[in-house]
Amino acid sequence: MATVSSTPVDGGNSPHGTGFAAGEYSVTTDNSKRRKLYSRLFYLLCVFISALSVVVLGVLLVSIGWQGHSRLTSDLLQNSHSELNPDSAGMWPSIVGSIFICGICALSALPLGVGTAIFLEEFKPTSKPLKMLHSFIQLNISNLAGVPSIVYGLLGLSLFVFMFNVFGRIQVNESSGTELFGVSHYYQVLSLAGGGHTVLIPQDDESQATISVDAPIQAVDRDGKKFELAIWDPKSGTPKPSDPEVRQRTVRKGQVGGAYSETEWYYLRLPFGKSFLAAGLTLSLVILPIVIIASQEALRGVPPSLREASFGLGATKWQTVRNVSLPAALPGIMTGAILAMGRAIGEAAPILVVLGAAVAKNSGPQNLMDNVVTMPVLIFNWAGRQQAAYQELAAAAIIVLLAVLLLMNSVAIYLRQKMRVG
Amino acid sequence: MNRPTALVNKKFRSTGIGVVQEKAMVVLLAVCALMTIGITLGIIVMLISESWSFFQSKYVSLGSFLTGTEWTALQSKDIEKAQFGIWPLLSGTLRVTMIAMLIALPCGLVTAIYLSEFASNRVRAILKPTLEVIAGIPTVVLGYFAVLVVSPSLQFLSGGGFDTFNATSAGIAVGILCLPMVCSLSEDALHAVPRALREGAYGLGCTPFETSIKVVVPAALSGIISAFLLAFSRAIGETMVVALAAGTRATFTADPRQQSQTMTGFIVEMIKSENEYGTVQYFSLYAVAVTLFVITFGMTLVGQLIRRRYQEVYS
Repeated sequence: MATVSSTPVDGGNSPHGTGFAAGEYSVTTDNSKRRKLYSRLFYLLCVFISALSVVVLGVLLVSIGWQGHSRLTSDLLQNSHSELNPDSAGMWPSIVGSIFICGICALSALPLGVGTAIFLEEFKPTSKPLKMLHSFIQLNISNLAGVPSIVYGLLGLSLFVFMFNVFGRIQVNESSGTELFGVSHYYQVLSLAGGGHTVLIPQDDESQATISVDAPIQAVDRDGKKFELAIWDPKSGTPKPSDPEVRQRTVRKGQVGGAYSETEWYYLRLPFGKSFLAAGLTLSLVILPIVIIASQEALRGVPPSLREASFGLGATKWQTVRNVSLPAALPGIMTGAILAMGRAIGEAAPILVVLGAAVAKNSGPQNLMDNVVTMPVLIFNWAGRQQAAYQELAAAAIIVLLAVLLLMNSVAIYLRQKMRVG
Repeated sequence: MNRPTALVNKKFRSTGIGVVQEKAMVVLLAVCALMTIGITLGIIVMLISESWSFFQSKYVSLGSFLTGTEWTALQSKDIEKAQFGIWPLLSGTLRVTMIAMLIALPCGLVTAIYLSEFASNRVRAILKPTLEVIAGIPTVVLGYFAVLVVSPSLQFLSGGGFDTFNATSAGIAVGILCLPMVCSLSEDALHAVPRALREGAYGLGCTPFETSIKVVVPAALSGIISAFLLAFSRAIGETMVVALAAGTRATFTADPRQQSQTMTGFIVEMIKSENEYGTVQYFSLYAVAVTLFVITFGMTLVGQLIRRRYQEVYS
């Protein structure tokens, strides 16, 4: 087989094109004329249909460029989606969101995928039951590659967003489930200082949403320092404290405060809810089969002589993998990983299922449990609207998305080329 | 046997730790691999348990789900009047898929034949990256393309015979989407056919057309068919194009000019509608997903069987 793949096939088929010029064949019957005509026609058909895909790509790029070029402004990159003012709407939060989701996706899918590929390629079992398990896993991976991404989205919805309802359901605008860390609950009470200055009182009972302050109580300031909150009762006749420092630490008697939670970036709760962590993990399920198959191809391409040399030096299997096979296969794995990431950036259906179609968000994610907008979801939302302004915005956003993808793909092609030479 | 002490006494510190490390690594890698089986199990458990809640509801039955020709899960406000028959969605999916296949399969195969049998290196250097770029285009972009270009041109050509959202424009976009996949997989299969077969055919006096159609393509048929099946299941599971371009009314016709909600299109519509968790409408999306999963899973399995059973081995 090596001879077939190493020599280009077209090198051997000179009998097309000029090879069929009249007079080269001594026998020219009607039949052979007809056959040559068919061959000629088929060749033309091939050229025509193959050129069609280039034409389609051209039409696609030109039409989208034509539709969207007027909106390729700095507004597009800096602003966020706006319902009231489509003329200055932009896609900045979605760019940040896409990057974050792809980060989660890469962190979870790449180690898992490469690990699986190493297990399947480098640790070939010898006993019969293990061999069966091995081929079953292989079959399973090929089947997973064919599962529609929207089904992965539903899996992500059940598994990450609701966790099969083991921890209770996520409710809108309400902290629910089991909160693990990264969050502090407070009541927020207006102090005497005015100007919207508030003090925070640690919340003991999380089911209680409001508090009414009647007696001095422990509170914390914005830096997290504890202090005793003073009370000023207007009915007692004592004058309002004049010192602004004191006024900041004093509230009117009977003042009511609402619940308020402060989250750190690592805030984690179970189930994950409609969060960007859930979306990233769902996407990693989508691209996992792609990563595995690409890494397997790359590992298969490493010459066995390299491994044998390593074994001959007394290295164990894992040492061989770590020091020989993996470095040798790395360019191929990187190429596959970048292509998979490109797929992840463009994928909208699973994210739509996990996070919903809402796009009103004016910043990137603040913590792991924050909602997020991605570029394809934003494009889907804009493209589905009737107003011309949003249609143009969708085209402009597509141009940005395609530019990002083109960049990634050219990096992948560059890596592949480099690998082939080396 | 008199062996050196170093070989008899093998309790070196490094090997002792090494063995443990080695075992730990193997276990870790095996866990990674078993995770993929876990994903499949997760999908199956999720689909069965959630669609169970659907079929348990008193408003639906398995029989009417499988035979019903009306799907009004989201249109009817009243749950008692809602109809859950899968056929409109299934027919919508099939309409879009058929149109896509009519475009992707012949064009993909012909392009693959051209690439592997005829194309010079220069043409290949243009065509292959072009196909790769098409394969890398996000599906939401193709959906937008269908709405922006394909659908208006269809309406223009037919003098308004098509709906704004119709099965044909979605099908054309899905066909463009599947074409690179059909092409690259078939080209792999064609490429694997040994040169000796081609040379034999040319030696017998075949024209390039006869060589490709009568010798090379049949020799690569198992690979080509499994490529076709893969493309088919890809087209069935395609979501964003149909969500944008195929329309939102589930119709049970064979008319490709009408709206046609597909299974994936319904799932997206359902998600957008924000029906609360626990309603019958919400669970109906899992019933649709089961149908979708069974079809695509069956397709991939059959494709693999064909590839394994009928693969010609040249060595």
